[in-house]
Amino acid sequence: MPESNEIRELILRIAGIVIEELKLEEITPEKFDPNMDLVDELGVDSMDLATVALVLQDEYGVFIDEDDYPKLKNVRLIAEYLQSRLHGAKG
Amino acid sequence: MQTVSSLLDKEWYERYKAISRLNIRSSIYDVTNQCNLRCKGCFFFSSDEHKAAPEEMAIARWEAFVEREQVRGVNLAILIGGEPTLHLDRVEAFYKRLPTFCATNGLIKVPRDRFPDMMVGISLWGDEADEKLLRGRDAFAVSSRNYAGDPYTYYLYTITPRQIGRTEKAIRRIAEAGFKVHMQLLSNDEGVEGFSWTDSQLADIRAEMDAMLDRYPGAVISCRYYHEIITTGRMLGRPFGWMECPSVTEPMDDRQPQPKRLIRFIRWAADLETMHRCCTSATRDCTTCKDGAAHMSWVMVNKRAHMGSARDLQNWIEVYEMFAKLYRFIPW
Repeated sequence: MPESNEIRELILRIAGIVIEELKLEEITPEKFDPNMDLVDELGVDSMDLATVALVLQDEYGVFIDEDDYPKLKNVRLIAEYLQSRLHGAKG
Repeated sequence: MQTVSSLLDKEWYERYKAISRLNIRSSIYDVTNQCNLRCKGCFFFSSDEHKAAPEEMAIARWEAFVEREQVRGVNLAILIGGEPTLHLDRVEAFYKRLPTFCATNGLIKVPRDRFPDMMVGISLWGDEADEKLLRGRDAFAVSSRNYAGDPYTYYLYTITPRQIGRTEKAIRRIAEAGFKVHMQLLSNDEGVEGFSWTDSQLADIRAEMDAMLDRYPGAVISCRYYHEIITTGRMLGRPFGWMECPSVTEPMDDRQPQPKRLIRFIRWAADLETMHRCCTSATRDCTTCKDGAAHMSWVMVNKRAHMGSARDLQNWIEVYEMFAKLYRFIPW
């Protein structure tokens, strides 16, 4: 199934937040692999995830439960999670 | 951009993945204000923490409290005191609900029919002479009999400056009795003469700890990077202290900027309401604190800071593995 514009935009924004919050160098949101495992490849821990989640919460008004962190393995999954919560909130 | 797999070879990467999602969420609990020893240098008594709060006596309240801790997300209960084995019903309230580690002086044996696989860490303050001087008796003679052949037990050997050149005697004694051992350094909270560390003593004991690891690899649960961190008090050029410590009770932590820290960590007093500031004495000078778990945690919460090189990340993995072994999240 083709990726929706909404998901593409969310992926770019979340990648930007991850790059900024983790102070990643030599990478842009456009070049960030959304399927890259945040824990196994980027070395992200739950405190890092909490930081990213707080920024997303402020920006999108969506609360990300810490119990859901294990599901949020990469930027694409975070985008899909966020999308479902945004639509759920609207509905 | 540095990634984990770009830094590590296949073997190290597999080791990383074995621990990367453990998400250990520990808290510390004073099970009681009482002890059957009065050791010189014990922070609990020297800083009057045994008077901080009265003990909750009703076991039903302990059980309800542990259930609330479960809901709070704690997945490792570290029981200290006082001497937890003086109140096995309280220990059981934790053990039945959470992965539980019990710190003890080993004078009372934890009955294995009630606690078949609970991790037990027995404190040891040196060889017979030091134990008699600091604790009033050779506790090892009793604890090693009590726990002979017990696979869920290890010794937590607190090394004092007087033991430089003599640690092997204690380590060999433990190894020959068939136990594992983890080493940490005495923080001389009561200022006992001759028990405060100098820089040259710390350098000497670091070399000795490294040598023990090499000579007794089957018994010593440790790694060289931990020895470096705890003896130098520095990690990646940063000094340990209040502004870096990860083991601060979360609701009492108003440090700015907020350092990397243990999430949801609380050290609870035995009334189950009062919180202590941190994992050890609030009167201790943090710049000279030698608490082993705090230094391990300091490394563990700073994972991404260790992604500057393969060696740094391997060091981080070794410290995390050591911690996970001590609390049995992974096998010895």
